Amino acid sequence: MNLFGLFQVSGSALAAERVRAEVATSNLANAETTRTPEGGPYRRRMVVFNSRPASQFRLLLAGAFGDGGLQAGGGVRVSQVVDDPTPPLRRYEPGHPDADASGYVDYPAINPVQEMVDLMGAERAYELNASAVQAAKQMIQQSLQILK
Amino acid sequence: MNLVETPLMHTLSRALDLTSERQTLVSQNIANIDTPGYKSRDIDFRQELQRALAEEQLPEPAPLVREVSGLIERPDGNNVSLDRESLLMAQNQLAFQVDVQLLRAEFNRLQQAINGGSGQ
Repeated sequence: MNLFGLFQVSGSALAAERVRAEVATSNLANAETTRTPEGGPYRRRMVVFNSRPASQFRLLLAGAFGDGGLQAGGGVRVSQVVDDPTPPLRRYEPGHPDADASGYVDYPAINPVQEMVDLMGAERAYELNASAVQAAKQMIQQSLQILK
Repeated sequence: MNLVETPLMHTLSRALDLTSERQTLVSQNIANIDTPGYKSRDIDFRQELQRALAEEQLPEPAPLVREVSGLIERPDGNNVSLDRESLLMAQNQLAFQVDVQLLRAEFNRLQQAINGGSGQ
């Protein structure tokens, strides 16, 4: 069994949670952005997590022993970052340079509370995965003691 | 009879294998704590250890990984329990430490026997 594989599993989760935190922060930062390169107001983004299958090698190894069941050793990945389809919020601000003919400005439909909750969730999950890395490190160090 | 590999060493090495396999599963469950539709996975440690010890051939087949039943599912279809995984991680870590210490003690005993009981 490979204890070093634990780093890949937890590492993938650390990366994924970091992307999630980045997206939430970007949503918060752009809560009032009315202009984007694609045109129109900023659109709220969301990450989609997907569990990653075990590595090809592990699957082949399991297949060779005729074990077609579930496998350990897959991590997680961000499969895509999608735009929130919620229509933009319209505020009446006739003096705004981005106001339309009737004086309304499109603002991104972002709820700061929701983003903060998401950010905290990502932070906690990151901590948990970091402690899983610590546990793996400790186990590897302990197994080195057999040599002493 | 193999003089260098005692039965206890054999058992302990299988237990260490299974403990690290289980730790991989715990890490995987923790990694997927926010993945919609993901279900917690685990192995039946006792049963797998018995199976590994009964198996004569090497390498023994990979342990049977199962979805854990009886966990509360969240609306997104994910049923990873933070408490279960944290406790299991701590328990697994300690079990690993115990196995390592027992293995070291066994090697020391063997060393003592080689030296005719006159210490290290």
